[in-house]
Amino acid sequence: MAPTRPTEVRELGEAEAIRRAQQGDAAAFERIYRLHNRRVYALCLRMVGNTAEAEDLTQEAFLQLFRKIGTFRGESAFSTWLHRLAVNVVLMRLRKKTLAETSLEEATEPDEDAGGPRKDIGGPDLRLSGSVDRVNLERAVEQLPPGYRSVFVLHDVQGYEHNEIAVIMNCSIGNSKSQLHKARMRLRELLHEFERSRAREERQAAKGGSGSGH
Amino acid sequence: MSPIQCAQFDRILEEQPDAPLSAAASAHMNDCDDCRVLWSELGVIRRAGVEWGSEEVEPPEYLWTSLRQQLESEGLIRERLTQQGWFSGWFGAAPRWALAGAFLSLLLIAAMLAGYQVNEPNAAAVLPVRLSISAVRPKLVASDLGKTLDGDLKRVFDSLPEGNPVLASSLRENLGIVDNLIAVCEKSVREQPDDPMARDYLYGAYEQKAVLLATATDRSALEGQ
Repeated sequence: MAPTRPTEVRELGEAEAIRRAQQGDAAAFERIYRLHNRRVYALCLRMVGNTAEAEDLTQEAFLQLFRKIGTFRGESAFSTWLHRLAVNVVLMRLRKKTLAETSLEEATEPDEDAGGPRKDIGGPDLRLSGSVDRVNLERAVEQLPPGYRSVFVLHDVQGYEHNEIAVIMNCSIGNSKSQLHKARMRLRELLHEFERSRAREERQAAKGGSGSGH
Repeated sequence: MSPIQCAQFDRILEEQPDAPLSAAASAHMNDCDDCRVLWSELGVIRRAGVEWGSEEVEPPEYLWTSLRQQLESEGLIRERLTQQGWFSGWFGAAPRWALAGAFLSLLLIAAMLAGYQVNEPNAAAVLPVRLSISAVRPKLVASDLGKTLDGDLKRVFDSLPEGNPVLASSLRENLGIVDNLIAVCEKSVREQPDDPMARDYLYGAYEQKAVLLATATDRSALEGQ
């Protein structure tokens, strides 16, 4: 195999890079990494909300990918395969963190699922306006169960279709849709809670402010 | 069209969270404030997610370096970056620094000898590459090594015998060639700061300059005797 030159590396197509990486070509590994690192890193960062951990997870995902690249036969899209690996790496980490060995189904199904979604939280005065504060959104996503979080991040944030998510998460398309809806419903609840708590704090601050004036 | 209830509306959203609402669901939403608010707020959340996703996040560069080290330690990368392009065609068969130094030394010596033989100011025309000195004026190099070499350059020019313009001219022309190479290598390093091959080339170019300066110093010392 002729070694790959830097200029060639930048032009190397994904399929050729995979073929060369399967033969241990360092430049091909780098090409694959450069093609996908942003998306994988973004996925990890949005799933865990922590830069250092996201870096660690990104490295772990690529490491697993390169360890297994010899087995890739092209039956599925390479990026889907890689993101499946990445999501699994993240979910494994999240599960370890909670010290609970739960299945994906359990991870995505919190207790309140028996009934329909609640719609009465907040009330008209606390409706979400046309935009959501980014900090609040990130906080709320962090509080989602890992399965909900994965589907929301993959679909709404990373732009995956339900059929791709079904492959990545090893679930049905219907399940992906259902999880997404539940994730959004839970986010809605959390965002309303944040709004209520902010309103409470503002009221207390106002009280404190008027009290101190006397 | 039979009217639907809130529970059915919920089910429709769960089954088709992003599909346009059916006529029945739309009719229900128009009559039900709760469902209308729900529909609107879920849209806000979805758009917030999309907006979040449109922000570029760039992993730090050291991530690749670290990953590469790990791949090398596990033996997944089976060959180091040894490709040298055209350079390897010339120097690949033997220690590169020795050959590069030898090549430039020979070039310089040939130019000087030719200058002595014809004893004319344009003797440097024997050099294989003609470059205007203004075009190849030594550029300020970023690294410490480059600065050190520039310091050496000044000392070498200061040490040249004043009555030997041919030697000075040849030295400048040869330095021009090497400085051009250094400039190209520095550009590559700036573009690919973590590429070991680019750094390798740059250090090779610096080394060539060092060899050239050492040869010139020796030559001027001989003339001074």
